[in-house]
Amino acid sequence: MPSIATKYFGVLAYREEAVFEFPRGLPAFEEEHRFVLIEIPENATLVFLQSLRQPELCFLAFPVLVADREYRLAVSREDLEALDLDRGRQPTLGSEVVVLALVSLQDGFSATANLMAPIVLNLKTLRGLQAIRQDNLYSHQHSIQSLRPEAAC
Amino acid sequence: MLVLRRRAGESLLIGDDVEVEVLAITAQGAKIGIRAPRKTVVLRKELKITRQQNEAAAHGLTRADLKQALEKLRGSSHIEPSLR
Repeated sequence: MPSIATKYFGVLAYREEAVFEFPRGLPAFEEEHRFVLIEIPENATLVFLQSLRQPELCFLAFPVLVADREYRLAVSREDLEALDLDRGRQPTLGSEVVVLALVSLQDGFSATANLMAPIVLNLKTLRGLQAIRQDNLYSHQHSIQSLRPEAAC
Repeated sequence: MLVLRRRAGESLLIGDDVEVEVLAITAQGAKIGIRAPRKTVVLRKELKITRQQNEAAAHGLTRADLKQALEKLRGSSHIEPSLR
């Protein structure tokens, strides 16, 4: 099994079929095309998006429903197409796609989540991208009270 | 902020070499055309915000911060990660 150096957890072994491909990378990180998700079983709501190319690049993320239980997806037709998803409707959370909000921390605990531009992962094809919303319904700095989200995903 | 009213087909000029034309207006939004020199960067604002947020998210959290945060959550120093 191949292994990677990670930012927070030392060297971890991974399976090729657990790698998500980001054909366009992420804004500001356009050269990063391959990521794995790392979870900590004791806190299943936290997810780490670790770059395979750069050990030092690892995002902290929550499923969007943890930040906002009522979160409504609005992935553009262009992004749906890039993800190999049906262009005519929004995908189903959980079964078709996992949708994550990247988290920024100001100090140890005051955190914000970017609900304006969630990471959308197609679970079937293992493709991912950051889907920037065209509406203004959600904030790019949605405040999170602590690293202890109440809602489950 | 300067506010102007423009109809479809009308333009406005910014400085000497940038022209912004309203091409069409529908219920879904306004279609804008921009004529500018190649060196002028034109970005959707959301994209710039997303770039900045991603940079902050990538650099904001140190190993020590995370360890401390997780320890507080769990009341223990042992962290067992898993890949999915």
